[in-house]
Amino acid sequence: MYKVETRDVNLFYGNTHALKNVTMGILEYQVVAMIGPSGCGKSTYLRLFNRMNDMIDGVRIEGEVLLSGKDIYNGGTRVEEIRKKVGMVFQKPNPFPKTIFENVAYGLRINGISNKKFIEETVERSLKQAALWDEVKDELKKSALALSGGQQQRLCIARALAVEPSVILMDEPASALDPISSAKIEELIWELKKKYTIIIVTHNMQQAARVSDKTAFFYLGELIEFNDTKELFMNPKHERTQNYITGRFG
Amino acid sequence: MTTHLDTELDRLKNEIEEMGSLVRNQLGKSIDAFIGAKKELAKEVLFQERRVNAEELKIDRDCENIMVLFNPVAIDLRLVFAAFKINSHLERMGDHAKGIAAYASKLTKPYAAELLTPLQLREIVDHIDDMIASNLRAFKDADTSSAREIFRHDDRLDEWNKKAITVIGDYIRNHTDEVEGMLNLASVVRKMERIGDLNKNIAEEIIFYVEANVLKHEKEKI
Amino acid sequence: MNPFELHALKQRIKDIAFRVIAILGLLFALCVLILLLVNVAADGLGRINLQFLTSFPSRHADKAGIVAGLAGSFFMVIITAAIAVPVGIGAAIYLEEYGRKNWIGRFIEINIANLAGVPSIVYGLLGLGLFVRWMSLDRSILAGSLTMSLLIMPVIIISTREALRAVPNGIREASFAVGATRWQTIWHHLLPISFPSILTGIILAISRAIGETAPLITIGALTYVTFLPKNLDSAFTILPIQIYNWVSRPQQEFHENAAAGIIMLLVFTLLLNSIAIILRNRFSR
Repeated sequence: MYKVETRDVNLFYGNTHALKNVTMGILEYQVVAMIGPSGCGKSTYLRLFNRMNDMIDGVRIEGEVLLSGKDIYNGGTRVEEIRKKVGMVFQKPNPFPKTIFENVAYGLRINGISNKKFIEETVERSLKQAALWDEVKDELKKSALALSGGQQQRLCIARALAVEPSVILMDEPASALDPISSAKIEELIWELKKKYTIIIVTHNMQQAARVSDKTAFFYLGELIEFNDTKELFMNPKHERTQNYITGRFG
Repeated sequence: MTTHLDTELDRLKNEIEEMGSLVRNQLGKSIDAFIGAKKELAKEVLFQERRVNAEELKIDRDCENIMVLFNPVAIDLRLVFAAFKINSHLERMGDHAKGIAAYASKLTKPYAAELLTPLQLREIVDHIDDMIASNLRAFKDADTSSAREIFRHDDRLDEWNKKAITVIGDYIRNHTDEVEGMLNLASVVRKMERIGDLNKNIAEEIIFYVEANVLKHEKEKI
Repeated sequence: MNPFELHALKQRIKDIAFRVIAILGLLFALCVLILLLVNVAADGLGRINLQFLTSFPSRHADKAGIVAGLAGSFFMVIITAAIAVPVGIGAAIYLEEYGRKNWIGRFIEINIANLAGVPSIVYGLLGLGLFVRWMSLDRSILAGSLTMSLLIMPVIIISTREALRAVPNGIREASFAVGATRWQTIWHHLLPISFPSILTGIILAISRAIGETAPLITIGALTYVTFLPKNLDSAFTILPIQIYNWVSRPQQEFHENAAAGIIMLLVFTLLLNSIAIILRNRFSR
C-alpha cells in the first residue's frame, strides 16, 4: 500500500486550474523529488499532503488525497492532526524568534505535553536526527535567529521531527543555502529516509537526482512523468521531460 | 532552442568524425603497405599513429569537460558516454592499423599473388571502411537503423575470416618454409576481424545514445 | 561632453536640487516648532508651580489651576485605551487572520481607512447622538471616553493590521505546519512578534486622543469643573478644553495660564509616549 497517494486530484485557485488529474502513489521510506518549471504545480501538489493549500482563499480541491489509505480531506480528521503526521520544511528557513530549545519543543507544547524530561529528551533526539545537536548543544538557550542559514534550516527540520511525523514534505529546502549547507541537508535526507517518507520539491535537478529514489516531472499542472530517478534522468520517456532536464525548454 | 551545451556536443560529434576519418586513412594505408610491401607507406602509418593518440586524448578531455561543466543528463549524457567509448574503440582500430603497418614494414617482398587473390584483403578492407563510414554517419545523424545494419555487415566479415583461415592453412601445408610470414598474415586477418567487432561495439554505443537500449552482451541485436 | 555625460550631469544637479529642497522643508518645520515652543515657554514657564498643578479653575487667574483638566484627561485616556485597544486589536486580528480576503473584506478595509480620516467633530456629533442622548450617559466621562474610543479605533485597527501583515508568512506556515491552530499561531507567534509595532500604533492613537478637543466640546464636556471625576458618570473636563477656555478670555494673565497649560499638555503627551517607547524597546529587544 502507498504511504501517500493522490487519485485524480484537481485543484483550482479561483479560475486557475492548478493541478490536473494527478494520480500518483508514494511508497513508505521513499524519497520522491518533484521537478518542473516555476508555476507547474509541484509546490501546490506538495502542500496537498498537509492541507497547506487550505490557507489560501478560493481554493477548490477535487479527488482523493490518501495518507496511509485514509482520505485526509474527508472523514472528519482535524487538519491539525494531519499536520502532526505530515511535517513540512520550507524554502526559507523560518525558525520562530525564540530560543533553539523552544523552537524544537514548540510542537510538543501545543500538544499539551508538559513533562519536562520528555520534552528535553525529544528536543535532544530531534536535534541529533537533524545533525545539529553537536553544534548547538551548549547554547540551546540562544535565539534561533543567531544561527546560520544552514543551521536554521536544520533546526526547522528538527522542529518538524519533534512531533514524530511519518511523512516529511520539503519545499526547496536547500535553495536558499550555500553549497556546503545544501550538501548537509542532502546528507540529512539520506539519513532520514530510513525512518520517514520524504517528498521534496526542488529546482535543482542535480539535487533531485542525488537524493531521490523516484522523480516526478510536473508541467502546467499535469504529472508528465513519474519514474525511478535514474531512469528519468538517463532515459526520460516523454519529450517534455527530456527538454526540461536537458535545459532545452521551449 | 540551441544551448551552449548543444554547441559543445556538436563539436564533440565533429571531433569523433575527424578521429574516424583519421583512423580510416590509417587503416587504408596500412593495408596498402601490407599488400604492396611498401616500407615508406608503413612508416608513415607508424608515424601518424601519434596523431591518432593525440586526437583520442583531446576527445577524452572534451568529454570530461562537458561532464564537469554542463552536468548533462538524458540524451546529452548518453551522447557523451557514447562519444567517450566510440573514441576508445576508434583508437583501438588505430592500434590495429599500426600493428598491420608494423608487419608491413618488416616485409621484404609482397606475399604471393596466389595467396592474396583468394584472401580478398582489398575488398574486405573496403568493406570495413564502409562500416566505419556508415557508423560515423549514423552517430552524427543519430540514425539507429543504419547502426543496426552494421551487425549484418559484421556477419559477412566473420564468414570471410573463417574462409581466410582455411586459405592460409592450405597454403602453409604446401609452403612449410614460409610459416613465419603466414603467421603474420593470419595475425593481420585476425586484426581485421577485431576491427569488425569494434565497429559492432560502436553501433551498440550509437543505439544506446539514441534509444537508451543497452545491447551489449545480448544475442539478438535487431 | 558627450550626451551621456551631459545627462548624468543634469541628473546630478536634479539630485542636489531635490536634496536642498528637502532640507529647507525640514528646517522650516523645525523652525516653526521651535518658535512655538519658545513662545509658549516664554509665556507660561513662569506660571508652572505646585499651586497651578493642584488648583481648580478660578475667576482669578493667579489662583486658577489645571488639576481638573489633568485628572479628566488622564482618566479619559485610560478609559479610552481600555475600550479601544482590545476592540481595535481584536477587530484587526479578525480582519487580517480570520476574515476572507473577498469583496466584503475589502469594503470593510476601505471604510475603516475612511473612518480614520473623518473629522473629529463628526465623532463628537455621533457621540452626542449615540452615547449622550440615546444611551442617556449624559455628559459623563464614560460618554466622552466612548466617543474618543470610536475616534481612535480606526487608527489602532489599521496599525495593528499593518503590524500583523509585517510578520513574515513563514512564521504562520511554520506554526501551522507543526499542527498549531490558528488561535495558537496568533497568540504564540503573531502577537508577540508584532507587539512593538502594535504598541507604536497605540501610542499614536492615544496621543491623538489626548490632544482632541472638538468632539468633547460637542458632547458638552464642562469647562468649569471644581471637582475630580469620582466615577464613570462624573462630569469632567480635559486639559485642551481648559486651555481653550483660558485662551478665549481677554485678560493677559489667563493667556499665561493657557501657555502653562500647553506646556503641561506637552509634558503629559511626551510622558505617555516615552512610557510606550520604553515598553516597545523592552519587548522588541
